[in-house]
Amino acid sequence: MAPVTLKSITKSYGTTPVLHGIDIDIADGEFVVLVGPSGCGKSTLLRMIAGLETITGGDISIGSRVVNDLEPKDRDIAMVFQNYALYPHMTVAANMGFSLEHRGASKAEISERVNWAADILGLRPLLDRYPRQLSGGQRQRVAMGRAIVRNPQVFLFDEPLSNLDAKLRVVMRGEIKGLHQRLGVTTVYVTHDQVEAMTMADKIVVMNGGRVEQVGAPLDLYDRPANLFVAGFIGSPAMNTLGGRITPDGFVAAGATLPLPPGLTPAANAVYGIRPEHLSLADTGIPAIVKLVEPMGSETQVTMTVGEHTVIGVFRERLKAKPGETVHLRPDLEALHLFDAATGGRLN
Amino acid sequence: MKTDLSPRMKVALYGLMCVLLIPFVFPTWWMLTSSVKPISDIFAFPPDLWPRRFDFTTYARVFELQPFARQYWNSAYIAALVTIGTMIVSSMAGYAFARIKFPFSNAIFMIVLLGLLIPSEVTIVPLFQMFLKWGMINTHWPLILVPIFGAPSVFATFVMRQFFIALPGELEEAARVDGLGRFKIFWLIALPLAKPALGAVAIFTFLHSWNLYLEPIVFLSSTQMFTLPQALTQFTDAYGGAMWNIQLAAATMTAIPVLLVFIVAQKQFVEGLAHTGLKG
Amino acid sequence: MTIAAGTPRRKRPFWTIERRDAAAGYLFIAPQLIGIVTFVLFPLGLVFYYSLHEWNVLANTFNFVGAANYQMLLADKALPQVLLSSAIFSAGLVILNMSLALLLAVLLDQKLKGITVFRTLFFSPVVVSLVAWTIVWSFLLQNNGGINGLLQLIGVEGPNWLRTPATAMISVVVVQVFKNVGLNMILFLAALQGVPKELYEAARVDGAGRFKQFRRITLPLISPTILLTSIITIVGSLQVFAQIAVLTQGGPGMTTTVLVYYLYQQAFQFHFFGYGSTLSILLFVIVALLTFVQWQMRKRIVFYEN
Repeated sequence: MAPVTLKSITKSYGTTPVLHGIDIDIADGEFVVLVGPSGCGKSTLLRMIAGLETITGGDISIGSRVVNDLEPKDRDIAMVFQNYALYPHMTVAANMGFSLEHRGASKAEISERVNWAADILGLRPLLDRYPRQLSGGQRQRVAMGRAIVRNPQVFLFDEPLSNLDAKLRVVMRGEIKGLHQRLGVTTVYVTHDQVEAMTMADKIVVMNGGRVEQVGAPLDLYDRPANLFVAGFIGSPAMNTLGGRITPDGFVAAGATLPLPPGLTPAANAVYGIRPEHLSLADTGIPAIVKLVEPMGSETQVTMTVGEHTVIGVFRERLKAKPGETVHLRPDLEALHLFDAATGGRLN
Repeated sequence: MKTDLSPRMKVALYGLMCVLLIPFVFPTWWMLTSSVKPISDIFAFPPDLWPRRFDFTTYARVFELQPFARQYWNSAYIAALVTIGTMIVSSMAGYAFARIKFPFSNAIFMIVLLGLLIPSEVTIVPLFQMFLKWGMINTHWPLILVPIFGAPSVFATFVMRQFFIALPGELEEAARVDGLGRFKIFWLIALPLAKPALGAVAIFTFLHSWNLYLEPIVFLSSTQMFTLPQALTQFTDAYGGAMWNIQLAAATMTAIPVLLVFIVAQKQFVEGLAHTGLKG
Repeated sequence: MTIAAGTPRRKRPFWTIERRDAAAGYLFIAPQLIGIVTFVLFPLGLVFYYSLHEWNVLANTFNFVGAANYQMLLADKALPQVLLSSAIFSAGLVILNMSLALLLAVLLDQKLKGITVFRTLFFSPVVVSLVAWTIVWSFLLQNNGGINGLLQLIGVEGPNWLRTPATAMISVVVVQVFKNVGLNMILFLAALQGVPKELYEAARVDGAGRFKQFRRITLPLISPTILLTSIITIVGSLQVFAQIAVLTQGGPGMTTTVLVYYLYQQAFQFHFFGYGSTLSILLFVIVALLTFVQWQMRKRIVFYEN
């Protein structure tokens, strides 16, 4: 187990820069999720930590060692790949013991470690099978087993759940988190799914366009997104954002005026952000025309128009309103987010 | 177009295929049966589909007239060496061209592909002079070295490269994380997965070497050194006339073992070829 | 490569990951590359060098003669016949081979019991030793051989196949077609089986009959295979030697003397190494041209490439 430090990491392919100076500190035993849309550079960054991509500039340290020029095998890391990368011509046991075998471990030691990992992951009955004889979830477990057998300093996960169906994904999410809690190994986990990031991470790193947008604990990111990108990326359904201006009378958006807390400096070019669950229905308030009602059982998701904007609300109560009717919304001003429209930065 | 066929259609198709089969199967049958006919019956009219008299001494005569066992061994060991050598050389080169990044790899691959444009017939004259200079005329070296390293192996390299290109990159990355260097990745991961392609390469290469004719007659001069195809044409009487039954006995011994191997392993054989067939 | 200014870059070891990997790459291709240079490219250069020389092995003379061999090539009265024979052989072989291979592949693609037995039998000549196969056919095609014997049974007087100008070439072509058509057949069969079934189902829903399905769906989809096999078959047809040597020795007259056979005669029977080299250059140019032309044609005839 070891901390991982990334210091002004840059990466270019030829003259095309893909990472523009990334700084991240990962504490010993921390579960860090790199999240962002595809092409944001998160996988590249992970592969640079693994040693599968070269580093154009900056330093990566694992523990106290700078590992920039070390081979993956010398970095004491283990990686779980998106498509599992199980060796098709080897049994589950051979797959799991493969790395130990090539580090000169004895047969007894290998089988002890493999059995230990197999017990943790419930793979005992599958040890003699071949990958093609396993289901998706089982393959996923074997890939994890292969990673844990040799007790590395760092686990790296590259979108490991993206090939599983929705139900299994939830199960495996829990298993990976449970495994981390049990073993306490520093983990870097890449995903494009913000739900995975929210549910699993100690710390989330939101990336976009080769830059870090925000680093923080899941709920901090949720409650106080540093900018418009993070606000839109974290949370589902996404935060409502309405462009307009901050005036002493409220927030003036196209076709509607929204309430603001007192004491704000007026700004001409701002964005009003409110999460769907922070809207509530009231007798008076912002008038909104119902477009679409989607009852989920536990809650109701309603798509509405406020002035010229589309707004989504999620309500605990079951709404009787039909499309075309007008309802009144009241935003929770405690949970209001204001951003600068030009820079995207947070204003309040 | 796998739709169910009407019974009448089926009969027609079977009939058509049986007629088409004649020129494919009849020669082998005729070779087998004629090889045990006495010379006097060989051109009998009407032709005998089954020998009316058997003369198995033809097979013994093959070994009397030529050092046939030695020639058989020559062909067999040359083909085996060429096959193994080509598998090694081509899988390594194909792997590197497909999976390893190194400067000028594309340019070098193009140079290697030139081998496809330059069949060994084009270079037979200088090859003869080169091997003459090296003192390798009337040895088997030209028949071993040229196929393994020269033009014939280029096709094999191409097939292997096509296969390795399709190999998932994650497997190699996993192997690197697991502590393997390039050579071990090649040997322990890539090569075991390339068995179908290697099989196809082995078949092509073996048949190519087994069938070589121009090269042996250019490079070899003593009957002891001859390979089978060359030896087969040597069964003539004092006047240069063909000793058909003996020649056919020799041909039968040349053809049948490979044919048997093929029939036993025909599924792997045909599918191996079709599989690597030539995607690309 | 942008390195953050100011921070002194840590000294990197010379053998970085990439360098080590590149070295491994060169090591892996070394045998093949050295082989190609030694046994293909260097000899190709030599062939050209020889072709500029008059080389008398018996008199042991080797003199630079410039383009004289090439002038001889143009003046060679036999050469038009040789090229014509080569052209007839190659064209006949490719046309017969490709169409028969396609026909057999379509037949073998049908849902019939025991179809693999037929597949095995059609393929079997491929694995029969080439010279053995040719010798058997030579035996069958003798004037008093099996084929004429069978023809006589039905009252037909067959020609002396290998000694009659009109039939010698046909015989050589046919022998070669039956020997190797199995290879293309298998490749076509694999291509046919690779055509998604949904396409046929969609075409049937659209009302296309069998023939139309074949022409509008099957042929376009397998056209890459057709192109590739035709290149291989054409280049292969130019290399034919054993069949000619065993069946006809280039005769009767020069009707079956193809380029490689002529080259062999000039270089190794008459010891005209200089002129033989010139013929080699001609063979190389023809192979290169044909490959190039077919490669260019792929844009026109290949409807689909994956």
